[in-house]
Amino acid sequence: MSKPVIEVKNLEKVYEGVVPVHAVNGISLTITQGEFTALKGPSGCGKTTLLNMLGGLDQPTKGSIAIGGVDITTLSENELIDFRLRNIGFVFQAYNLIPVLSAQENVSFIMLLQNRPKEEREQRARQLLEAVGLGDKEDKRPGQLSGGQQQRVAVARALASKPQFVLADEPTANLDSQSTANLLDIMERLNKEEGMTFVFATHDDRVIKKARRIISIEDGKVLSDN
Amino acid sequence: MLKLAWRNIWRNKGRSIITMAAVMFCVIFAVVLRSFQVGVWEHMVGDIVANNFGYLQIHQKGFWGDQNLERSMDESAVDWSTLQEVPGVRSLIPRLESFSLVSTGDNNRGSLVLGIRPEDELAGLRLTDQLVDGRVFSSASDEVVVSEGLADYLSVEVGDSLLFLGQGYRGASAYGQFMVSGIAKISNPELNKQLVVLPLETAQWMYNATDLLTTVVVDLESDADYAAVKLELAPLLGEELELLDWEQLFPELVQTIEADMAGGQIFVTILYFIISFVLLGTVIMMVSEREREFGILVSIGMRKTRLAAVTVLENLMLLMSGAVLGMAVVKPVQFYFKYNPIDLSGQMKEAIEQFDFEPKLYTTTSFLINLNHGAIVFCIGVLVSSYAVWKIMNLNPVKSMRS
Repeated sequence: MSKPVIEVKNLEKVYEGVVPVHAVNGISLTITQGEFTALKGPSGCGKTTLLNMLGGLDQPTKGSIAIGGVDITTLSENELIDFRLRNIGFVFQAYNLIPVLSAQENVSFIMLLQNRPKEEREQRARQLLEAVGLGDKEDKRPGQLSGGQQQRVAVARALASKPQFVLADEPTANLDSQSTANLLDIMERLNKEEGMTFVFATHDDRVIKKARRIISIEDGKVLSDN
Repeated sequence: MLKLAWRNIWRNKGRSIITMAAVMFCVIFAVVLRSFQVGVWEHMVGDIVANNFGYLQIHQKGFWGDQNLERSMDESAVDWSTLQEVPGVRSLIPRLESFSLVSTGDNNRGSLVLGIRPEDELAGLRLTDQLVDGRVFSSASDEVVVSEGLADYLSVEVGDSLLFLGQGYRGASAYGQFMVSGIAKISNPELNKQLVVLPLETAQWMYNATDLLTTVVVDLESDADYAAVKLELAPLLGEELELLDWEQLFPELVQTIEADMAGGQIFVTILYFIISFVLLGTVIMMVSEREREFGILVSIGMRKTRLAAVTVLENLMLLMSGAVLGMAVVKPVQFYFKYNPIDLSGQMKEAIEQFDFEPKLYTTTSFLINLNHGAIVFCIGVLVSSYAVWKIMNLNPVKSMRS
């Protein structure tokens, strides 16, 4: 049996206001190594909030999140940043690459933050760009790449730090069908061949079809988990 | 990180170039302004002090406050050989100075009478270079050199006689009749209006002050620091003598310089205040444009302190590029106007001359001014960057990524 990578217990997130909003309302779940999981649900159901909390970007109001056995809700801000750097890969909806760096530099950047040697950074960045089919685009800046290519660079960047898992928030939302298919193929291959754990927040059927586990969320609660 | 900061500067070329240009012109303007201000005073101090009065003077105690022959000193009170051996001292120059009524025909004027040995004197009183007519008097002769302004006032020419009437040492009458051997243009306008120079021995004779001196000017080597020489010299003087530096000799000049400098400082401060707000505007815009990117960088694992450091580095590189350019561009201007001063004319000239200042605007070539202004820009850069630092340190990655 695979070991758990993410363990969430009784997670709640309440946005205070005139009327408090329960964005996440008592979610408990476990994600094990090598899973290819989709969190699905309509807009505003709480999947992005849940994803942000899993990634340590947002603090829960209640409950605990253990990643690789470490309760990240107890970490200080800097500890959390360092934890993200070493354990979590992110793929965002809007690619979010650094516009002044080339594809290769964008992928290397995260390893630079990890203080890895230059040669290792360059070699791994090249390998990852090859893996996502962009070996010939390593010197291109984001502005010179298509949306699909940028998202593939973002996947390579997410993997560069050798994380425990990758969180992807609506990764295909801005892509056409062909780019979506390419991206999903790449992530599926990385999942199968390298055992990389992927967790998606999506309402894209093309992603949901590829997922081996689908967690449906509605009104901040898990509706189904198959 | 340096590469990232450098590339960030050029992501908005137009804005970066405008910011750099603003800093560059600010530095050029401030340095030119201060160079002229310092240059004019430097020249004036050089003229008054270095060429005429010297950076250090030895007197009988109390003479400078009450310039009276009764407070003159005996030549033997000065240990000439010991003092001349002090490092930095080029020579010791004896003088006897007093005031007399100088007249010719119907014209007369109270004048500063200075007994000197021209061959031993400071550059401004060697007279040969300053002569506009005639020649320098010969040693111990009954001849005088009259400053051009005084000669004009008295309407005297070379060969005319001047009558002196004043009070000598111990209340004796001091009078004499001397022939004008030459007319000299003294660069200091105040001296040029009232100075009569005659041989030291002749002055001592007229004022009944044989072997007495009012002043011994300490002529310094060109690279000597007068404050350091003063420290060496002071203990070697007898208790009856005093050693004054130029700031003690001319406190009014020092105050005038300080007041003028303060005025300039206020002007430059206002200039920097304005440019600071321009730069702050640039930083606010930059932070606002990149808030989302900052959120992403923190999300993927970049510590806020590191991100803040990159941003500060970026701002400093941008501002210091402008400052260094400004410092470099202004250098030839400083050199040009040091050797080609601006001649003031018309009312401006008259106004300046009223204050006995030479109506010319010189610059200084001191690189210290350029460095000072580079340092000011650096401080402004740090200050305006603190806004970016504050924003980054309070950044919420989720909110930033939504922006």
